[in-house]
Amino acid sequence: MNAAGLDAAAGRLAPWRRTPTGSLGLYGHFVRLAFLKFLAYRLRYYTGVFSYTIFVAGHYYLYLALYAGRAADGLSATVGGLTVREMVTYVAISWIGRSLYFNNISRDLARMVTEGEIAMHLIKPFHLQSVMMFEAVGEAGFRLIMFTVPIMLVVVPLFGVGAPAGAAALAWTLVSFTLSLIIYSQLGFLVGCLAFAMKNIQGVLRAQMVGMDFLTGVIVPFTFFPGWFQTVVAWLPFQCISYVPVMIYLGKRTGPDLVSGLLLQSAWAVGLTVAARLVWRFAIRRVTVQGG
Amino acid sequence: MEPLIHVRDLCKDYRLTDRREGVRGGLHDLISPRRRLLRAVDNVSFSIAPGEMVGYIGANGAGKSTTIKMLTGILTPSAGEVTVGGMVPWRQRQQYTRHIGVVFGQRTQLWWDLAVVESFRLLKKIYEVDDATYDRQMKLFDELLDTGKLLSQPVRKLSLGQRMRCDLAAALLHRPRVLFLDEPTIGLDVVGKGNIREFLRGIQEREGVTVILTTHDLGDIEQLCRRVIIIDQGRVHFDGELAELRRRVGQSVRLSVDLHEPTDSEALAAVTAGLPVVWDAQQGLRHVARFNRVEVRAADVIRLVVNDRPVQDLHLAEQPIEDVVREIYRQAAAGGDK
Repeated sequence: MNAAGLDAAAGRLAPWRRTPTGSLGLYGHFVRLAFLKFLAYRLRYYTGVFSYTIFVAGHYYLYLALYAGRAADGLSATVGGLTVREMVTYVAISWIGRSLYFNNISRDLARMVTEGEIAMHLIKPFHLQSVMMFEAVGEAGFRLIMFTVPIMLVVVPLFGVGAPAGAAALAWTLVSFTLSLIIYSQLGFLVGCLAFAMKNIQGVLRAQMVGMDFLTGVIVPFTFFPGWFQTVVAWLPFQCISYVPVMIYLGKRTGPDLVSGLLLQSAWAVGLTVAARLVWRFAIRRVTVQGG
Repeated sequence: MEPLIHVRDLCKDYRLTDRREGVRGGLHDLISPRRRLLRAVDNVSFSIAPGEMVGYIGANGAGKSTTIKMLTGILTPSAGEVTVGGMVPWRQRQQYTRHIGVVFGQRTQLWWDLAVVESFRLLKKIYEVDDATYDRQMKLFDELLDTGKLLSQPVRKLSLGQRMRCDLAAALLHRPRVLFLDEPTIGLDVVGKGNIREFLRGIQEREGVTVILTTHDLGDIEQLCRRVIIIDQGRVHFDGELAELRRRVGQSVRLSVDLHEPTDSEALAAVTAGLPVVWDAQQGLRHVARFNRVEVRAADVIRLVVNDRPVQDLHLAEQPIEDVVREIYRQAAAGGDK
């Protein structure tokens, strides 16, 4: 009995390529598995709803105080082009969005590399970058249902978060946050690849955690910053993760601005995916697998 | 027959950083780290025919895992070439890994959080195994490895032996042409080892799969492999039939016998007279007999002793693989008794 895959006479392994349906089936399966895995650990996320609400509450009172200092009637003042109501909405939607696109790809990949588990993925006929991306999609599906929606149900009535600037704005915000997920995940994969070059990556991971929330505009909107800082940020991918979708939600990006925002996001999504692929290819050529 | 696996002048260097001592040394390291190259695999060459089962052995750090990692496409060599069935593992990684199965005894390829069966379903998609083959293979694994009742359990709840059985099944689900086994019996008890060996022998006969096996356990080699490659400090020191290895090294075993009453070791020597057995000077009630497995059967020695006088306890120790390697190495260093 001779199994498929070997032309016995020539002693050669048969060329093999995954079929498009096969790819769909495989990566779809990873989406499903990630969803199920997070569902099994859902208890962890109940406390998360509470902590996100605290984050938003902290910013809420901070900005109320800030605006009250600007004008006797705080509601009419604008700071950085936003009224206090828009500001509250900005903060709330930023955190709600973050609860959707956030994941731990960088930390997970770094752990696989430092603990040598990466070997078990390299002996499989798939691309780890794709696997992790599709797992992130599954995770986002879980987060949407079990995390983002509950946070929204608590935060929106509690702090009087403004409605989206229209049905179209809401739809484009969702598209935009989907692109955020790709950008965030691919950036995470790139950071995780640093573990190939560094003995200890904990510091980098911590810097990423804090730095991302700042540079994406989750903590403070960019309009608060000096012009030069805004120029620098405009050239970086981070603003495409949170600032762009939230501005679409607020109706601050419409028409050509909306299109350019989405195009910029798409460009970063594609660019970072390609960059991560190249870095990965370079890194695994130099890989030193730990242990064993 | 045309070889399936070609390995020619294969080398792998690791770059190590040596640390200097003290604060001054630490600062010095920051500016100019002291690096050196370690050659883990040094000009290794061999070829393996389809359907062969080869034992690849050596002490810890000898370079055997590094070789396996290059053959499986995980590591890129520093120099030399590898082709398996015409493919270069690290260059055609995705195509190539479709055709191989790998078991690393120290790690699992099963998804830790999932029930075992979920891992198999995923592997079915990863390797594009059709339904008929999948069902047939799962039935086979249940018959031979008794995996059926483990399927619904999460991987983290399995014992080591159960996990290893599932890992073997996982490596063979897609009916690979080449199977790489890195310490497949590590940490298992006698029964567990026996099960795994029996399964491997069966699958190898049935499927004609080519197997490379690294192990610390000479028992694995004796029961599974006709051919052995010994590697030490990155170099091949022996490549040939197991019988030839036995002839060159002998198969020294140590039999410890604890007696009830103090006895002279000469008295025991008299009991086993006629067999080439050496008795060491006794230590209290304990006597140690050394003999060559090829020439003497342990059972004969034991029977003679037990029939002659009351024995408290017996212990039979195989010659550790390190000794075999050392002996081969010593012979090589002593200079070409070829």
